[in-house]
Amino acid sequence: MVIPLLLMLLAVLVYPMGSSLWVSFENYRLTALHARHFVGLANYAKIPRDARFWNAMGNTLVFVSTAVFLEFVLGFALALLLHRRVRMRNFFRSVLLTPMFITPVAVGLIFRFMLNSEFGIIPYILKTIGIEVDFFATSPLALFSIVFIDVWQWTPFMMLLLLAGLESLPREPFEAARVDGASAWFTFRRVTFPLMRPVIVVAVIIRMLDAFKVFEYLYVITRGGPGNSTESIMYYIYRVGFRFFRMGEAAAMSYVLALIILLLVFLEFQLLRRARST
Amino acid sequence: MTRKGLHAVMIHGLLFLALIVVVFPYFWMLLTSIKPYWLITAPNVWIFRPVLDNWREVLFESKLPLYLLNSLIVGGIVSVISVGVGSLAAYSFSRFNTGGTPARFAILAAQMLPPVVLVISIFLMMYHLRLLKTYAGIIVAHLSFILPLVTWFLIGFFDEVPRELEEQAMVDGYTRFQAFYKVGLPNVRAGAAAAGCFWFVLSWNDFFYALILTGGPTKTLPVAVAGFWTFRGIEMGQMAAAIIVAIVPVVTASFFVQKHLVKGLGGGVKY
Amino acid sequence: MRHVAILLSLLVVGSGLVLGAKTLTIIMEEVPDTDVIRELIPEFEAQNPDLKIVIDAMPYEAMRDKILTEFLAPVSSYDIVIVDNPWTDEFAAGGFLVDLTDRVMALEGYDFEDFAKPIRDIGVYKGRIFGLPFYNYALAMIVRQDVFDEAGIPIPTNIADYVKACRQLTNKEEGFYGAAMQAKRGYKIFEEGKNYMYALGADVFDEEGNIVINSHLAKAALHLYIANLEAAAPKGAVNWGFDEAFRLMAAGKAATMITYNWMLPSLNNPEKTGELAGKFSFYEVPGGKAVLGAWYWSIPHNAADIEASWRFISWVTSKAVEKERVILGGAPVRMSVLTDPEVWEKGYGKQYYLTLVKILEDAEPLVRGLHAEEVIETIGLEMNNAAAGIKTVDQALDDAAKAVAEILGG
Repeated sequence: MVIPLLLMLLAVLVYPMGSSLWVSFENYRLTALHARHFVGLANYAKIPRDARFWNAMGNTLVFVSTAVFLEFVLGFALALLLHRRVRMRNFFRSVLLTPMFITPVAVGLIFRFMLNSEFGIIPYILKTIGIEVDFFATSPLALFSIVFIDVWQWTPFMMLLLLAGLESLPREPFEAARVDGASAWFTFRRVTFPLMRPVIVVAVIIRMLDAFKVFEYLYVITRGGPGNSTESIMYYIYRVGFRFFRMGEAAAMSYVLALIILLLVFLEFQLLRRARST
Repeated sequence: MTRKGLHAVMIHGLLFLALIVVVFPYFWMLLTSIKPYWLITAPNVWIFRPVLDNWREVLFESKLPLYLLNSLIVGGIVSVISVGVGSLAAYSFSRFNTGGTPARFAILAAQMLPPVVLVISIFLMMYHLRLLKTYAGIIVAHLSFILPLVTWFLIGFFDEVPRELEEQAMVDGYTRFQAFYKVGLPNVRAGAAAAGCFWFVLSWNDFFYALILTGGPTKTLPVAVAGFWTFRGIEMGQMAAAIIVAIVPVVTASFFVQKHLVKGLGGGVKY
Repeated sequence: MRHVAILLSLLVVGSGLVLGAKTLTIIMEEVPDTDVIRELIPEFEAQNPDLKIVIDAMPYEAMRDKILTEFLAPVSSYDIVIVDNPWTDEFAAGGFLVDLTDRVMALEGYDFEDFAKPIRDIGVYKGRIFGLPFYNYALAMIVRQDVFDEAGIPIPTNIADYVKACRQLTNKEEGFYGAAMQAKRGYKIFEEGKNYMYALGADVFDEEGNIVINSHLAKAALHLYIANLEAAAPKGAVNWGFDEAFRLMAAGKAATMITYNWMLPSLNNPEKTGELAGKFSFYEVPGGKAVLGAWYWSIPHNAADIEASWRFISWVTSKAVEKERVILGGAPVRMSVLTDPEVWEKGYGKQYYLTLVKILEDAEPLVRGLHAEEVIETIGLEMNNAAAGIKTVDQALDDAAKAVAEILGG
């Protein structure tokens, strides 16, 4: 049964992954292909000293943890609200899902305009109640403005996954809790949340993996500025590889990044395992 | 008002709040798409003479409807293939524990590598297979990062379905495949539907692979929308119109998917 | 049956004729000049019935990435590419572009020297020609003539007067700014700020090639730039790119903008600016020396039919066609066209083109050579660091100098 998957994956992944792994061991410069040669771990050795890499990594971790946390909390709240028999439930669900279907490049540009300090509509509205904010001019506000945009676009996604999880929960535990006269909060803490744990972990991991790849918003709004405060790791690797043509280094950075992410995912799983056994 | 009534009002209130947050940008986009060029940057102007040029250009002069169709086709095919292959693989990982825990992590590996690094090799591969600028090429590229993710996601859902159900079915004479198809699969329906939405979205939103691997008539929507970012500035009016055009089929489709999700409810486990 | 046979044979012959036409695909950026080229294509196709031209236009970033990937394929999907000035040396050195020197020299009446010197030099790498100039995007100072006239302020010709005038014209309560600035990190801030540096005589390298980006003059220039940013530009300008600044001008909320010279017709276009159309003028940037940018026609080394590609690019850059292109609104690159009275008459008027001549005489690109892109990005990053207050001017430019040394040495 796994054969079709394996074959397909093999075909499409192994060559590019293998090739890029090999490239990470060369001083592969796109515009000097005749000069490429094997340099072993030299590209990897550059990384610990590369302040820009770690800065980008730091920015990305802050971004991912904040954004995913907010999306989780808001998404869960919305999912719980929509799980009940509310009137016009379908309408709410359909409309609330739409942000994730707008291509991120477009979302970025829309918010670039809407949040612009001179002629954006949101600062304008805020000014009428006396708040003056400049969303992209200072750090760390710029990074959190990007978080805000991500939350707008991807909370629906969390909501969707968590709602699906809620709806496939068995009825019996809830019946039992109701019969026992449990309060809503108690039911949530002792019944809903534990039962949802596997779905939660999966949802969070998927969103986290995606959030690590944040790129389009930076590409179209900040270019990583002001200074380096919104440079994400994906954006940095893109610049090194495609803008500065240093593909060998970009490949090495990608593999280091992949390892770091793998570690994080592994840790999350350990958390799940430990929680399950209590 | 009864407590239940108050409850209902609160819930509706919160939902409406969420609705406003989501819909407000759409409202702004609609306004922008009918404003003349120099008023787009004047947020305080609500009363003006609407201008329909942007809509005319987007609907009739640009090839946007074609690109929209391309994205739909690519996304649709990717979803269908992912369902087929992904659920089979997820079932196998769940029931037979193929490859153990390391395998479950390994299939995520593809998700972690940035497109930047893989795109050149994928590009060359597609070139040699003559799949550049074809639907097949971009579909395969999308599958490379969507399929593992979807498989991994569904494993969790299959894990939650008790094995006894299928074993019961097999005792009653079903083959393993039938047990999968008639017992396992229906129980992960809710999850599969949610996943269906989400892998469609991943394909629909992809920009980088689409940029490099498609072109001309096979261009997809994100690349086309980004095309409104011209050197003479971002053609916000047209882009706003384009985005609205792109959302309409998607909202309609998701409305129907909702019904499917609702059906997945009711009664829990079946056999 | 006979009718069917005739129809079929007609179809075959007809399709043969169509199939006989070869298609040349050009990848271009979506700019006003692209539209002009589109208008010229039917003329080329009429003169060359065996060729068809197809244009694939897209945004800057996207185009770059695509061109790069296409160079690596055995045969490129694009028969002709347009190349931006920071990439010319690098692409030429990488062997990605066809050496056009012999063809240019052999073409009678082409007159390569007719192209403005700063522009044509960029397309030349190690004495060989790899790119033919397409259009220029030298920077100019665009002003609201009516605002200056009303306030009685003369148009500034040096940078100190400029900063002073901007400050005078700024009225933040009313939302009117002296300068619509683009201090976005990277290319943009460097593109705008280097004009200030040129005005004071500073540069990235000196004549011997030493790195002088952190010289006293350069630092003074950056101080001036930041002073202007704080006094005369909107608050968010430290993150502004072309769009925001342009829209500010178009909405009538700024007095000056340092930007591409051919933006002037756009600003004077009633469709874009309504009542403000006609009130904009342009002059040389204060200090007289501007940052130059330009695009070049090149043929990828792996193009399918180099001769066919050559036919198009030599045609479109020839004197006669160049003249047509400029009359249709394209940005000029040939001196003969810039000084042609017919062009003055049919184009934007004598003043416009003579100002351009002055601008193009001594304009200079941001950086040349290998690693140009990276050097530009790095300097732009540090300048933005200073503008955003993250580093002091001294620290930023010193770090920039260090980084540039590393890029070029490592």
